Amino acid sequence: MGEEPRIGVYVCHCGLNIAGTVNVKEVVEYAKSLPNVVEARDYVFMCSAPGQDIIKEGIKKHNLNRVVVAACSPTMHEHTFRSALAEAGLNPYLLEIANIREQCSWVHSDKEAATAKAKILVRMAVAKVSLLEPLEDIKFKVNKNIMIIGGGVAGLSAARDLAAKGFNVYLIEKKPVIGGNAARLGRLAHTELELKGIDVVKELSKHVVNNPNIHVYVNTELVSVDGSVGDFKIRLIKNPRYVNEKCNLCGECAKVCPVEVPNEYEFGLTKRKAIYLPYKEAYPPLYVIDPESCTRCLECVKVCPTNAINLNQKPEEIELRAGAIMVAAGHEPYEPPIGEFGYGLSNRVITLFQLERMLDVEGPTNGELKINGTQPKNIVFIMCVGSLNTTPNAYPYCSRMCCASTIKNALIIKDKYPEANIYILHKDIRTYGRIDEQLYIKAGEKLIRFARYGEAPNVIVSPNGSINVRFFEETVQEEISIPADLVVLSVGMKPPKDIDKVRTIIKVGCGPEGFLREAHLKLRPVEAATDGVYLAGTVTGPKNITESIESGSAAASKALSLLTKEEVKVEPIVAVVNEEICSGCAICIGMCPYGAIRLKVQENVRVAEVDPALCKSCGTCVAACPSGAMQQYSFKDKQLKNQVAAAFIG
Amino acid sequence: MNQNFEPKIIAFLCNWCSYAALDLAGTSRMKYPPNFLVVRVMCSGRVDPQFVLEAFRRGADGVLVAGCHPGDCHYIEGNIKTLRRMTLLKRMLEEFGIEKERFRLEWISAAEADKFVKVANEMFEQIKALGPLKLKEVNTHE
Amino acid sequence: MNKPKIALYWCASCGGCEEAQVDLAEKILDLVNLVDIVFWPVAMDYKLEDVEKLPDGSITASLINGGIRLSEHEYVVKLLRKKSKLVVAYGACSAWGGVPGLANLYSREEILKYVYHEAPTVENPQKIQPQLKIKAEEGATLELPEVFPRLLPLDLVVDVDYYIPGCPPTPDVTWKAIETLLSGNLPAKGSVLGALDKSLCYDCPLNETKPEKVLIKDIKRPHEVIADPSKCLLTQGLMCLGPVTRGGCGALCIKAAMPCTGCFGPLNEVMDYGGKAASYFASIIDYSDEEEIKKVLGKILDPMGIFYRYSLPASRLRGKITVMRR
Repeated sequence: MGEEPRIGVYVCHCGLNIAGTVNVKEVVEYAKSLPNVVEARDYVFMCSAPGQDIIKEGIKKHNLNRVVVAACSPTMHEHTFRSALAEAGLNPYLLEIANIREQCSWVHSDKEAATAKAKILVRMAVAKVSLLEPLEDIKFKVNKNIMIIGGGVAGLSAARDLAAKGFNVYLIEKKPVIGGNAARLGRLAHTELELKGIDVVKELSKHVVNNPNIHVYVNTELVSVDGSVGDFKIRLIKNPRYVNEKCNLCGECAKVCPVEVPNEYEFGLTKRKAIYLPYKEAYPPLYVIDPESCTRCLECVKVCPTNAINLNQKPEEIELRAGAIMVAAGHEPYEPPIGEFGYGLSNRVITLFQLERMLDVEGPTNGELKINGTQPKNIVFIMCVGSLNTTPNAYPYCSRMCCASTIKNALIIKDKYPEANIYILHKDIRTYGRIDEQLYIKAGEKLIRFARYGEAPNVIVSPNGSINVRFFEETVQEEISIPADLVVLSVGMKPPKDIDKVRTIIKVGCGPEGFLREAHLKLRPVEAATDGVYLAGTVTGPKNITESIESGSAAASKALSLLTKEEVKVEPIVAVVNEEICSGCAICIGMCPYGAIRLKVQENVRVAEVDPALCKSCGTCVAACPSGAMQQYSFKDKQLKNQVAAAFIG
Repeated sequence: MNQNFEPKIIAFLCNWCSYAALDLAGTSRMKYPPNFLVVRVMCSGRVDPQFVLEAFRRGADGVLVAGCHPGDCHYIEGNIKTLRRMTLLKRMLEEFGIEKERFRLEWISAAEADKFVKVANEMFEQIKALGPLKLKEVNTHE
Repeated sequence: MNKPKIALYWCASCGGCEEAQVDLAEKILDLVNLVDIVFWPVAMDYKLEDVEKLPDGSITASLINGGIRLSEHEYVVKLLRKKSKLVVAYGACSAWGGVPGLANLYSREEILKYVYHEAPTVENPQKIQPQLKIKAEEGATLELPEVFPRLLPLDLVVDVDYYIPGCPPTPDVTWKAIETLLSGNLPAKGSVLGALDKSLCYDCPLNETKPEKVLIKDIKRPHEVIADPSKCLLTQGLMCLGPVTRGGCGALCIKAAMPCTGCFGPLNEVMDYGGKAASYFASIIDYSDEEEIKKVLGKILDPMGIFYRYSLPASRLRGKITVMRR
């Protein structure tokens, strides 16, 4: 350790927040009696400029080499006081905060007891600070590329914004086409604006395709990510498309293909071939072979006029380096199991998304709402399918967009077929915000009927094909039965299928439902807790298109604040190995979820080694290390032991 | 039973969940007994069972280790390592004759200030009823 | 020529440490060439009063094994301290209490009751129990030393200069330690002599066979498996305490396919051997579910006996709270 500690203790009044309950003067006098404390002072607001000056003057005047600030929580002002130390020429990590506001003055009313506790907290901080060591920030260079996982509207808007600032974007999409879920949506609003989901995708794609800064990889999946913030080493696998750029979209191949499978773009309302164009405006504008259904009959190869088809194409490995990663992997619509609300038992029970396809003039029915050739008269929407625990299969959360989307579609039907009787069965109407509440009002004016259910409605499909929807109406407290020609299930959103694989590779946490977890729900909504990883769109939970695009742009701007830096600094409270003690027993390696520890062999001796760039400073390896060789800077065994012991002495 | 006995409790709290929850209890002006002294670590996974033993040795009447809920750990699964260690430690403390009320492992999220205060108050009441641990330095035969 | 004087003594121990000293074999002859042994109850006929008559500080080193359990132990070790320049805790019992130290989980009364009345092998119909003092029929007063309420390691009773680890210390470690003591080139006070500053894994021929991540799904007791002697025993589910135990023994147990039980004690940076051992071992149980974790750890039938086998009296709590309280 070298020099004897010379500690300054600075006690903050925080106005009356602390001084109202804690006798600050008494704490200061007490601090002066503690070992190695050279100066103790108080001030009304230690975090203010004059307050910080007191600390800086103290450091210079008394040649202090350690500082304790007794004030608010370290999460509030640890950073502020570290800067003050640095400005006074003292290493910023020779600081310890005694939290005498949140964990003392605000929670105790007895002045004597609170003062006594404040003294103990100061004593514990002095005990710890006297063993702290100067540390240097860990710095490394920032790679200026970013990888975005997911080519939906969130990923596209983020790519657009990042490329506009001149940064290189690798846009990775698992599917053979970009656009995501939004590309399949119908009209986005009930206004004269006839904007459809595909229009939004087209508009965003305009900025993305042929943009020299954006490299689109479709059919591509993540294999591994090494490295950390500022320099991620990424491995991808690009699955074969079997159709190359020579494809001229003539469609001869699909005509001869003998295989038919449900068309996912039309939510299974129509069929497509094993070789197909995902949809008319798809990007990249190339046919693709779905290897799962292709029988390799080679008929398509024979008819292709440009020789664009190659069934022997192999998966391709791709390696990339990027300073940041954004996960915009989206969601999947909830698909009710067969029989839930009659789904799959009758073609008169469809999901909201299938309805949107039918109402789309470019959809399978050219915009005509017809079932078995006739236009349904009684139409019943059931909301919260897959959400709010409506059924045992449902998720507990609200999917946000379904209320407005349901009412919008009801209005679109009502415009086109004024004679239709529309019922919306709901648990609660959540048309939040500036625009959507207008929809609800408009729906009332158009005599769309709303009814509230508590228990999930019963959809009874008779053998003759007729359907009855029965439920207990909560407002009028009455059992109601509606004969329906069409039942529309307003399904919610769920986390995408393979997200667990992706999040394990990138090391991002998730909530109980499987959506990825933000670093902070309110303060850092587009960042993951893992440094250098950003989250956009519905991968963190249900959002509408506007919100998804917003979060894409927000995440892009957050990522920019990293990418525009030349180097990143990491708090150096990382794990460190004492090679004199380490026996190379390797217990620590199995503890680290970040792969930050490895064994190195030098002169035939095995010792553990921590990569400070990968270490996230949890200290889990330290508690496991059987020999005490592994320690964590600023949280060493001796420092914490001293802090514990000081709780009791005196 | 000494009515004036105020148990002294040492709490090892992770920076991201439980420490934040105790801060929130402060911001919300909740109340709990004062002899509750916090040692902040980055993750509950840093809490070595040796620290718990050391706290009892030094005079703690109770020890609390708290971290993020399983699945919510800021460091992915540090709290799971804590769970493994403290599960074993609990059995050993029992054999040391330390009543189970004196040592608790709790999962407390950053939002659960109320849970924190409930746990703190419960520990105080239960330990108060048990009385002081009275483990003084046993260093000689004198 | 004046040879350095050495004293050897035993307290609460099993005699294994003496065996180890005798196992120096022909080196014993080298030893007596180098030193004068002035006190060695197990082997030589010196009386306590011979030691009492020696001038203070005249013994170069006293090697004391066993923990301090009786008033007699306390008297003799304090005497040896006074007469010696160096006091060395020899063996696990002296250094940390050893196996007899596990008795700190029970009160003196419980122990005496069990040993003289309840143990299945005891036949004591007259319920005789030793007394501190009795008047014999012949009129003489007979005295026995007092059994203390708890066992303490040597360094809690007298100032200890060095430690020699092991249960017992191997002849090799013993000889190395003696050489160091006689070299005149003494290490810092409190040092452990004759052993390594790294754990057993450093010395273990099986360390290299570990997979990248050392995690286990199940715990096996030695009699439940035939261990593969060419693979790290820990990774086979055996509770090997090698990672948490000081090296220097030459991995003798491991070479006989038996897991390390920890007799060389903790390394310098460890404050509570059992706490650290439990921490490391629980850490590698490869389950996340609380019930699974409990189930696997439940296979450790006697955690105190496993993790504190040699060191309970030197642990942070020293023994059962009710035994330690006064």
